[in-house]
Amino acid sequence: MSEVVLELEDAAFRHSISSRSISKPFGKKQGSGIFSINLKIREGQILGLVGPNGAGKTTLMRILAGIFPIQKGKIMIKDSKSNDLSPISEMELRSVVGHMPEQVRWQGKVSVKRTLQDIAEMRGVSYRVDGIIAMVGLSEIKDSPLDQLSQGMRQRLTLASALLGSPKILLLDEPFNGLDPVAIRAFEKLLVELAKKGVSIIISSHRVAGMAHLVDRLALLHRGQLLIEGTLKDIETEFGLDDRIEIQGIGELPDFNKILTSAESILESRKSEEGWSVVIRNQDESLLKKLVSSNVEITTWKTKDTDILEMICSATGQELDEIGFGVIDSTMMPYKNRGEEE
Amino acid sequence: MNDLQKVRTVALRHLSNKLFSTRMAIMLPILILFIPGMAWGFSDPKVMLPGGITPSSATEVMFYTSLGIVFGATMCSVLLSFDGVSKDRASGVLEIKLSQPMARSYQSTALVIGHWFAILIPTWLLWAISFIIVNYRMGDWPSIVDTLTSFISVALILLWYVLFSLIASTHAKEQGTSIAFGVGVWFLFTFLWALVTTMVAFASGVSIGEENNPQWIDLEGILDLFSPNGVFHHLLETRLTDVERGVSPVISWIAALIWSIIPWYWFNSRMKSIQP
Repeated sequence: MSEVVLELEDAAFRHSISSRSISKPFGKKQGSGIFSINLKIREGQILGLVGPNGAGKTTLMRILAGIFPIQKGKIMIKDSKSNDLSPISEMELRSVVGHMPEQVRWQGKVSVKRTLQDIAEMRGVSYRVDGIIAMVGLSEIKDSPLDQLSQGMRQRLTLASALLGSPKILLLDEPFNGLDPVAIRAFEKLLVELAKKGVSIIISSHRVAGMAHLVDRLALLHRGQLLIEGTLKDIETEFGLDDRIEIQGIGELPDFNKILTSAESILESRKSEEGWSVVIRNQDESLLKKLVSSNVEITTWKTKDTDILEMICSATGQELDEIGFGVIDSTMMPYKNRGEEE
Repeated sequence: MNDLQKVRTVALRHLSNKLFSTRMAIMLPILILFIPGMAWGFSDPKVMLPGGITPSSATEVMFYTSLGIVFGATMCSVLLSFDGVSKDRASGVLEIKLSQPMARSYQSTALVIGHWFAILIPTWLLWAISFIIVNYRMGDWPSIVDTLTSFISVALILLWYVLFSLIASTHAKEQGTSIAFGVGVWFLFTFLWALVTTMVAFASGVSIGEENNPQWIDLEGILDLFSPNGVFHHLLETRLTDVERGVSPVISWIAALIWSIIPWYWFNSRMKSIQP
């Protein structure tokens, strides 16, 4: 396993929100944030930071980018000479991290190149601008004003701004939003190349399926807490979400109880006018053969992707049906032991 | 590149972005109308101001021309800087800037200097042209000390309004609020301060508006120290021999220093704690 380049040890940050009353017109109280995050970022590894809206992904990204100061815990970075981890200041952190925020709305009559030069000068790396523009495929429009950029071009420009300082750690907050499939493919290719060169990459997203093929490890964040961190396979095994097959077919729903062995079980089944679909936990490779020999008409056979909701339900013990726009607090098991002010 | 070089470079970027902006192109005719235009008018040998006053020297004409700074240049500085922070914040660019390895205090210093010089350069240029116009019309030049005092005073009042606008911009999350705050402050000190002075005079039992009443003159002089426009005029008045409003030049310069340091410190503090 590659070396740890950055480590968060019990890192916590809570937003300060106004709590006005007649006696305290400028009162503040602690709001949402992140709690006791322990996370190791390894060299050349792509880490997917996943969680639903409001999980604390952006807050964690901003802490890692040196924008928010941590209120508790430590951030440690590998010393290039001694190879030991040592605490790092926000300023030092900013010099080794490249940050790509979510959905930057670049606007104005200033050109792409000039905009990047503005940011490059804050890092003292103006000489890198042309190379970075070429790297993200903006050479043809480098003299175009920002107002003329499409959403995909804007995303590329934001990525370019993150790459300016040759960062050791690259933070990408929902980077694929607004990109077309071709741009996503090119983007992913670039990320893999950067990772091969030793850049550690953290990608935040609310979708697991979209980046499962790209990331080496996943960290599941929910309500400011890190629920689990590991490879997708490890997490699926931990939550019992592995070895699931989604099968769709036409005609009557077959009697799977007669076909399946005791090692297999039906997790979901649905019948519609067009046909049927089932999700089966399956470890037996001969299942397909058995279904075909039983004259079951199958139209789709695929591994069921894991989504965040399933992970959260598995982590908290909630049922999928109980979840509306929000996840019920009372079932959040890590909260019960935290004892912090809400 | 060391920190000071970064400040200089980033400030120059802000300066050129603002100096050559559409907004500046719109404001330049206003500045031309208000500054050299007023200099031309006040330097007319036949001019008669309210109260039967006729300016008799170039210094005096430039003192009256300073109204163009109060009404025009300060407004332009507000219009130039009101979105100095809020625009980047709303678009998400501020988050990128805050994640760069440049201390926030240096970033804020570069921002102030860039915005300040963007309005200062054209204003100083027009102010210098006004001197030439006055000389052309009256054949008189102000002394070097008078000239220096007026140039420094102009620079300071513009700095104060730039700082007010930038502070407002750090508090506002959308541009409407920041422009309302900036224009509101300008309106208060440019138009409403006379009302504040009048109300304080009334409450203190001082006869209002009697120009020969020493009590009224003293009160107005003191209250002017609490307004940037008032301090600006106090600074210019330090070079006028026949004006005595009960405020010594030292007090005027101390007030100018306070008006510069406190808003700048406030802006710096806001930038240190600002969240994208």
